[in-house]
Amino acid sequence: MNLEPKPELEAFRQEVAEFLDTAPTDVIREAGRKTTSVFAPFDATMAWQKILNGKGWAAPEWPVEHGGTGWSAEERFVFAEEYCKRNLPPLLPNCLKMIGPLIIDLGTEEQKARYLPRILAGDDYWTQGYSEPEAGSDLASLTCSAVADGDDYIINGSKTWTTLAHRANRMFMLVRTSSEGRKQQGITFLLLDRVDYPGMEIRPIVGLDGFPEQCEVFFDDVRVPQSGRVGAENEGWTVAKHLLKYERGSSSQAPWLYRFVRMIREAAATRTSPFGGTLAQDPVFQRELGELEADVASVEAVEKLAVSGHPLAHDLAFPSFNKTVGTELIQRLTSLMARVSGLEGLSLQLQALTVGGGTAPLGDGFDLIAMPYYLNSRAASIYAGTNEVQRDLIARSLMSR
Amino acid sequence: MDFTFTDEQTMLRESVARYLAKNYAFEARQAIVRSDRPFSAEVWQALADFGLLALPFPEALDGLGGSVVDLVAVGELFGEHLVVEPYLSSILLAGRALAEVGDHPRAEHWLGRLMAGEALAAFAHEEGAGTADPSLVAVSCTKAGGGYRLDGEKRLVLGGANADVLVVTARVDGAPGSPDGLALLVVEPGAPGVRITPFKTLDGRSAAHLAFDGVEIPADDLLTADAHGAITRTLDGAVIALAAEAVGAMTALLRQTGEYAGSRRQFGVPIATFQTVAHRLADMKIAHTKARGTLLYTAALAEAGRATRRDVSVLKAQVGRLGRALAEAAVQTHGGIGMTDELAIGHYLKRLLAIDAMFGDSDYHYRVVGAGA
Repeated sequence: MNLEPKPELEAFRQEVAEFLDTAPTDVIREAGRKTTSVFAPFDATMAWQKILNGKGWAAPEWPVEHGGTGWSAEERFVFAEEYCKRNLPPLLPNCLKMIGPLIIDLGTEEQKARYLPRILAGDDYWTQGYSEPEAGSDLASLTCSAVADGDDYIINGSKTWTTLAHRANRMFMLVRTSSEGRKQQGITFLLLDRVDYPGMEIRPIVGLDGFPEQCEVFFDDVRVPQSGRVGAENEGWTVAKHLLKYERGSSSQAPWLYRFVRMIREAAATRTSPFGGTLAQDPVFQRELGELEADVASVEAVEKLAVSGHPLAHDLAFPSFNKTVGTELIQRLTSLMARVSGLEGLSLQLQALTVGGGTAPLGDGFDLIAMPYYLNSRAASIYAGTNEVQRDLIARSLMSR
Repeated sequence: MDFTFTDEQTMLRESVARYLAKNYAFEARQAIVRSDRPFSAEVWQALADFGLLALPFPEALDGLGGSVVDLVAVGELFGEHLVVEPYLSSILLAGRALAEVGDHPRAEHWLGRLMAGEALAAFAHEEGAGTADPSLVAVSCTKAGGGYRLDGEKRLVLGGANADVLVVTARVDGAPGSPDGLALLVVEPGAPGVRITPFKTLDGRSAAHLAFDGVEIPADDLLTADAHGAITRTLDGAVIALAAEAVGAMTALLRQTGEYAGSRRQFGVPIATFQTVAHRLADMKIAHTKARGTLLYTAALAEAGRATRRDVSVLKAQVGRLGRALAEAAVQTHGGIGMTDELAIGHYLKRLLAIDAMFGDSDYHYRVVGAGA
């Protein structure tokens, strides 16, 4: 084994730190402080992506020829560490982590040229049209249909949990183009150039935290060009499975999770324990935070093994492991946040949470975000395939040994 | 960064694994545990032949200069086979403490005999607090005549009933709670005033409670009177090796339980097809991945000299909690047969239970982490 710190990695860290210290505007920093979801406040985050793209740093994980940075896995991890340390808003995942890599891998040359630069520049936001009311984690049951007609498809049906569709200008989606054979057959993957086609209607869904993050999208004889198809007709399941690898398999969650540990530790140091002293000195609190921090440290260990190419992370079930462990840790951390905040977290402060809204919070910044974060993160074990589905996959990998 | 074993480590590991697979299968292990002897002299000789008795010690002391990672590579195998031979007690605890003292004729004398396989040692440190924190040591070592006088009690001394020499932690100065005034000394178990109460631990290791009542210690047998650092480094090294044992036990449990659930039929189908069972298996695999990842990363940190108090506590707490959870799930998945003495499953549970209890349990180490160590 070899942990030799490379001098060039430290120089890289310095360069990253300097840029991240100076480039974000006050509004962007405010968005970072008011992030209560995987999806940071929209406008400020897209503005931040433009700045990062100006530096060439919007998509470190993309190949260099499509605008990636060419950083090694270790450099990307360092970038994530410095980024999360500064409490900056995470870039929205749909474009950079999902549809972008998919177009790079499976899109036509025309699709690449048309969409990739606009994704990087933060000009486009793509919403994901996968789930339907009767097809959540069991995606193969989807029924929203597309019927070929000349050079177009005509779409009928609906999609739900289309994150930020009301802010999106484009959409990628799965549609049923055939009802023959197995459920997985007859699905097609489509890129929609617009979200305002005639017959298309978007309705925001207000979530438990009071914000409309998710949407429903309805299609009534919506005509879209067939040129938006990725892969062959009826073979969208393969395309979708390819994308799931990106959706579930991030390997730098630990820096993000440490951010929660730090927030909780700082908040606990300023609050009194009913048994005397500060909450940070309370043994029960220490025991609980310690277990969470140790679990974060384990995620960090596994991720460092993963970026170094260790066989432990070559397991087929690794993306499912990552998704399950990461999301459940976020839930446990935000649950502790909510308890540390306690009564102070009970005030509904939608105005104060709005970036640039100018409304001062009632308590401190921790109390402002604790409850919304807790509530929003209940979705973490549901999205991207419920954790029940992930556990099925992990168990199956054990059986196929 | 590279977290894989070197070619040399892989070769050593494969040789030891082959030997244990052939000579230390579960039935053979049970025969050793049930015998009236504490361990198999034959197996101990084999470990000596592999060079393991000299492995952890610096070349300057005639050891092989092995690293933390070497010990982890072998330690995982000891866990997979539930080894009861006194490697932890004699080599990793007592031997390492002697090596930490280094340049002292009595320490070198005993260390030489340990490495040659001529003698066994035990590390008498724990006094009932359950945390191994050196500053809690209360056993007193006071000046008497030309030497010292030792008074007090040590609990759960692994290998304490069969040792040729005891390496004892004691207090020459200050009160319990202070990290200063700690000494390391060697005591011969036959010395007047030493009382030994032998027993076996529930996971098959030989151990003893010790009482010292005015034991006379020649001045030469006090190895150092400034031992906090030496004790801490010894314990940290032992904890990492013990964590490797825990992960090895978890590896064996995960494999055996996966195979069992895939073949055991109830209601006409393999029980692994029931989602409740499948999800328990998934949680076992999640626990194993976390524990093994933490072990390898911490070992790499330790080898680079960068493992902190917090890193060691994270590892000990994680293998303690995750190991117990995995073992309990393995017993449940096996059903009644998992409760029997004839199957290995419950013995892994007992080993993991013992590992969690030793050197500070998961609650203690989580609190250390949570307090911001």
